[in-house]
Amino acid sequence: MRDRRAHRRVLPRAAAALVLAVGALIGLAGPAFAHNQLISSDPADKAALATGPAAIQLTFDQPVQAGDGLNSIVVVGPDGQGQWQNGKAAVAGNIVSVPVRPLGPAGAYKIGYRILSADGHPVSGELAFTLTTAGTGTPAPADATAQNPAAGSSAPGDDGGVPVWVWIAGAVVLLGAGIFLAMRVGGTES
Amino acid sequence: MNRTRTTTTARPVPVVALVASAIVGVLVGLAITATEPIPGLPEPGVVVRVGLPVVRVLLDLAAVVTVGLCLLPLLVGFDRPKIAEPVLAGARRVAMAGALVWATTALVALVLQTAELHPGREVSFTAVREYIGTVGAGKALLFVAVFALISFALSLWAVRVGESVPAELRAAVALFALLPLPVTGHATNWRWHDLTMISMELHVLGAAAWTGGLGAVVVLLAANRTLLAHALPRFSKLATVCLGLVTLTGLVNGLAELAFNPTRTLWAGLATGYGVLFLLKIGCLLALAGLGARIRWRLLPAITEHRTTALVGWAAVELAVMGLAFGFAVVLTRAPLA
Repeated sequence: MRDRRAHRRVLPRAAAALVLAVGALIGLAGPAFAHNQLISSDPADKAALATGPAAIQLTFDQPVQAGDGLNSIVVVGPDGQGQWQNGKAAVAGNIVSVPVRPLGPAGAYKIGYRILSADGHPVSGELAFTLTTAGTGTPAPADATAQNPAAGSSAPGDDGGVPVWVWIAGAVVLLGAGIFLAMRVGGTES
Repeated sequence: MNRTRTTTTARPVPVVALVASAIVGVLVGLAITATEPIPGLPEPGVVVRVGLPVVRVLLDLAAVVTVGLCLLPLLVGFDRPKIAEPVLAGARRVAMAGALVWATTALVALVLQTAELHPGREVSFTAVREYIGTVGAGKALLFVAVFALISFALSLWAVRVGESVPAELRAAVALFALLPLPVTGHATNWRWHDLTMISMELHVLGAAAWTGGLGAVVVLLAANRTLLAHALPRFSKLATVCLGLVTLTGLVNGLAELAFNPTRTLWAGLATGYGVLFLLKIGCLLALAGLGARIRWRLLPAITEHRTTALVGWAAVELAVMGLAFGFAVVLTRAPLA
């Protein structure tokens, strides 16, 4: 066994290495990882509009991570069923936007969004606006909303997926086997 | 953790208390921050919504157990090898299992976070690889899994050859593996990023060393009065430092998040799910300070005189409160201020 002095010399060194490591990691992380928050929207939340907006624009406090199927905005009509967004959400820096079809019946519309925050957590929320004068538009056809990026099951390279519980069960079995084997390793005490 | 052959005198009750209360903490936290589903957007399944935070808290606890067991040789010291060796041999074995659990939960969390991002879809290897490629948290979890496996390999080596594998190296690797995840945690303000980041890292290191150290000392040393009389005073000093560190950094991070919020004032923020969890964690900290003070001033003098005390019971209560705090923390790092 080592003497106590050697032990005392090692501990500060380990601590110093740890501090350096923290610094390095923080340097690597840069300012990219933080939680996005909605700052403003166009139309504004709870606005009353005479004519439907051409697009929904959501402005966040920091850039949103762009990527296929990562961010979605939906506009749900007064009937709670029909969806009025026209296509997929697009990201430009801090702003996520989606074009909107000409709106139909007057009433309360809801904007639901789910974006991928820079830190990797999905951030979702809900806004509302009221259409005071009925338009002539029709909601997006059902097969178009099924193509909603978040729900799309036809993404390329997605073959061979298995349900989450299969992954978990596999991990538990592997872990059990690993621990069983690890406990049988001959050691100094046996 | 009663799997080892050598620690027949170990009392696993405190660890059971820690794990059970951590899961309770997660469930309470989820209930507090529950939100209505957004109309028109698919929700991730229950397995993902509840499973992900539970797996994350198990990951944290595996990390805490591994760190605590790797710190144990440093707390016990190297001047009583004959008495210490049977206990440390058990500690090495459990540390090995802890590191395996740690690596596995990191990989499962990776799969669950991929699933969370694509609700209603099954998870393929390609999707997981894409997730690691695009999302910082994915890279962090991969790093954690790799470092946990390195920690496992070191413990395996130590099981084979004994304490000649430097305890400092094992402790340093285990502590290093704690670092990647907080960097990608969301509890970070945009403007004060660097400061809150360092503060968050120190918070995690302090909490892990404190909880892990207490668990390791109580579970493995409680039956051995000589070692306990030697290690507990040392741990008490470490715990005091950790208490101060965790309090300070926790306040800095929580208040920075609440005070510099672009859409809410500090007081309005306290009424949100985030604020309530923040206040609950302050409550846990006050309880821990009280329990720690009791062990330090009431039990420790008796323990240094090798007398029997109710240490295990008090420590089990303290670990249960710590578990609650870990559970709240997992939900807190994912809760938006809304």
